[in-house]
Amino acid sequence: MSSTSQKHKDFVAEPMGEKTVMALAGIGEVLGKRLEEKGFDKAYVVLGQFLVLKKDEELFRDWLKDTCGANVKQQGDCYGCLKEWCDAFL
Amino acid sequence: MASTLLTDEELFSELKRFGFTPGPVTENTRPVYLKKLKKLREEQQQRGCRTGKNRSSSAIINTTGGGGGTAASRPVTHDVTHLSSSRRPGRKSSVLGFSSDESDAEAPHKSKGRDYSGRAGRSSGVQKQAKSGPVTTLTVAIKRQYDTGTTLNSNSSLGPDGQRSISRSWDTCDRSNPDVEGRHYDESGEDDVCEEESEKNSRSLNGRGASRMDASKLAGDYSDSDEEVGGLGAADRNRDRLVLRLSQQIVASPSHVAEREYPIGEKNSSKDNPPDTLNMQKIQGMDEEEVQGDLGLPGGPRCHSFARKSVYVSLADNHRGKIGKNNHINDNDGSSRSNSTSRYSVGLRPRFSNYSLPQTYRGNHSNHTLGSNNSYSQTVRKKKLDVPEDELLQQFKREELASPGSFSAHYLSMFLLTTACLFFLLLGLMYLRMRGSGSPEVDGVIKSHPFGSDFESSYEKAEKDVILKLLLSLHDHLAVIAGQHDCGDQQHPNRSLSIDEASAYLLAQNKEFQDFIFTSLEWIIRTGQDVGIRLTGQVADIPVTDVSEISRLESTHPKMPFMCRFRRAFLSVLGRILLIAAVVGCVWSVVCYMKYRWKKEEEETRHMYDMVERIIDVLRTHGEACQENHDLQPYLPIPHVRDSLVQPQDRKKMKKIWERAVNFLSANESRIRTETQRINGADFLVWRWMQPSLSCDKTSLVPSKVWQGKAFPLDRRNSPPNSLTPCLKIRNMFDPVMEVGENWDLAIHEAILEKCSDNDGIVHIAVDKNSREGCVYVKCLSAEHSGKAFKALHGSWFDGKLVTVKYLRLDRYHQRFPQAQACSTPLKASSLHLNTTSNTNTTPLQHHGSRDSSGFL
Repeated sequence: MSSTSQKHKDFVAEPMGEKTVMALAGIGEVLGKRLEEKGFDKAYVVLGQFLVLKKDEELFRDWLKDTCGANVKQQGDCYGCLKEWCDAFL
Repeated sequence: MASTLLTDEELFSELKRFGFTPGPVTENTRPVYLKKLKKLREEQQQRGCRTGKNRSSSAIINTTGGGGGTAASRPVTHDVTHLSSSRRPGRKSSVLGFSSDESDAEAPHKSKGRDYSGRAGRSSGVQKQAKSGPVTTLTVAIKRQYDTGTTLNSNSSLGPDGQRSISRSWDTCDRSNPDVEGRHYDESGEDDVCEEESEKNSRSLNGRGASRMDASKLAGDYSDSDEEVGGLGAADRNRDRLVLRLSQQIVASPSHVAEREYPIGEKNSSKDNPPDTLNMQKIQGMDEEEVQGDLGLPGGPRCHSFARKSVYVSLADNHRGKIGKNNHINDNDGSSRSNSTSRYSVGLRPRFSNYSLPQTYRGNHSNHTLGSNNSYSQTVRKKKLDVPEDELLQQFKREELASPGSFSAHYLSMFLLTTACLFFLLLGLMYLRMRGSGSPEVDGVIKSHPFGSDFESSYEKAEKDVILKLLLSLHDHLAVIAGQHDCGDQQHPNRSLSIDEASAYLLAQNKEFQDFIFTSLEWIIRTGQDVGIRLTGQVADIPVTDVSEISRLESTHPKMPFMCRFRRAFLSVLGRILLIAAVVGCVWSVVCYMKYRWKKEEEETRHMYDMVERIIDVLRTHGEACQENHDLQPYLPIPHVRDSLVQPQDRKKMKKIWERAVNFLSANESRIRTETQRINGADFLVWRWMQPSLSCDKTSLVPSKVWQGKAFPLDRRNSPPNSLTPCLKIRNMFDPVMEVGENWDLAIHEAILEKCSDNDGIVHIAVDKNSREGCVYVKCLSAEHSGKAFKALHGSWFDGKLVTVKYLRLDRYHQRFPQAQACSTPLKASSLHLNTTSNTNTTPLQHHGSRDSSGFL
């Protein structure tokens, strides 16, 4: 990806703390709502899932699609920002 | 229910079998892994199909086990062993753990399984598992088969008197109390495990592998010796076989329902087992000796020979234990069937394959005799392959079912569409009827004529009839002509008839009419009502008052053929729909356009504010620069600001925004004053920054390039326990956009050295001036030093930014900074002004301190 969104930059720039799931790149209000309904209310819960799936891109994308119906771009954004965050902070 | 079909461990091991290492299987990751498994299976199947020419059995194995052909039997067996051992990870040994589990499980079934042999008892355990999910039923059934092989094998390895131990264990098997049997069984095996665990493992592996091999017909020697065994089995064996066949036939008679079949199987086992087991012991001995001799492997490597033995032991078990196995199958059938029936009653989606597979399975089984062990295992395997696949699908389906939102949404839209269609159809039909209902009414009007009592009195009955008939036929004819004209019939260019044509037509109808034509027309004129016939004179608009004036006759109720009417109705309905659609479309597009406008407006406004901020920023920095450097003019020409802020290619696009921003600034910004200045001989509008004092305040309030304290305590969660390399990459030390001046990187140098002042191991510091992330690279003398530096720097606030540190590989560092290789003298901070650290601003610390715990893992 040549350029990243502002949201991505914001997310990756600092520890995620108590940020909501909507702070993740690619997760907007609609997807955020759906994720919250399934118990993924905070970004770190999604991070947990991401880590449990061993940072595997395919699996994580699949999971995101199944859980909240994210499209390919949203999946990619979300995966990218979590990955980068992990690279930076983990 | 759906989630229990494949247990987590099974899913895990299945995935592992495909060479995929999954993470933990949890409630949330489960669907993902199920999908992955399905995908892997599909891939495998596709690959398996290419190895075509093999026997179907081996092809099937390919698809399940992975790998191809004869050479593949090895990996397959490995995998299987792995599968069964990892299935009960908590147990001491896979096989025994399994059997003990089974005996535990069967305890509640005591009343049912009292007459069962050991195997029957175990099968009740199987049955119990089957309740938890059909998939496990089958895999367990198969596994069980292996297990008997291995258990026997392990028993027989007890030493020189292995045979005895086998017979003993089988003796116990026949005891009526399955509990005791189970325990005993366990113990006898456990000794073995304790003695030679590793050996057993390899043996059990071989054993299983062998019994697998025999199934796929890869072990050619098996079939030979099997015949021999059969031949040597002699009378005992034959008798056994007879009994077996009998029982099989009973069991496999085609009329069973699960409930009925069950008692039969049970009876069989209880009746046939005692003699059977007696035979078993004898044959056991013979078989084993036979095998040893036959293969000529008496003194081979131990585990090898045992492996061989185990083949036959398990085979013999297969043969002799057929009744028992039959029972299992029945049980399995019964359970899976009752399972499926229960599923019916519960109302979950039934699967026919679930139902039919056991049947074909039984069919195969009932046909084959002792020699056809192959086909038995084949079918088992096939089933094993099919059913999990099937179940997996089913699981998915159910999960889909579980989320009814999407389903109902789908149906809802379909429903709405259908309703709309029906509505319009109805509307059209109603319209049609309304159109068509005009003429019969008029008929009635004419029959009960509207001419009043005058008409009654002035004519006799016969004359009246003639007149009315005349009018009726005239009316009908006119109606038809008008209708056909309306439908666009070319034969009738006019909607009306001239009086001559009409009278000609009437005369052709009936000679009697001749005298009455004008009389009847006169009557029509006289009534003055609409009787369905309109009389027009030469001039269209003036109503006719005398018969002689009439020139044309026209029907007011045109009668059209059905198709025509339908077409007209359809067209008019369609027209209206289109009209409505057009209106709706117009409204919609207007709304969309408005939305778009609003959005654009909003965006423009945002851009404008953005621009305003940037302008202010530029002016402020310029103002600050002016403070320091008095040579500069304290103002900036507006075009210059614009040119520095807006890219040349955007200038046209941004013109409007720029103008808005300029207007906004002149109207609402008090710190900027617009004035005219002469620069280089030309007049320019310039902006002057009017707030000189703020910059001084700012510098005094927020000192730059200062350490501001820790954001979070370092512990195991957010830092590696021991330092890995002597090189560090420090991020977020600065923002290159914000840095001004020449030597700001030196300030950062100093800051790092100051922070690590107690650490005299830093030998090289490189500031990556162009990095967006504000990276600084540090090399230390050793890993310990870098560890200290890591602790000092990681998670600190520097200049309002949170600094993070990562370890870098030494070779990577040298690759990037070759000059660092020579550095070995520790750097020292030139000026130590430690007071900055005490200048810590506490607010950000507390603010971020509260979030560090969850932010850093």
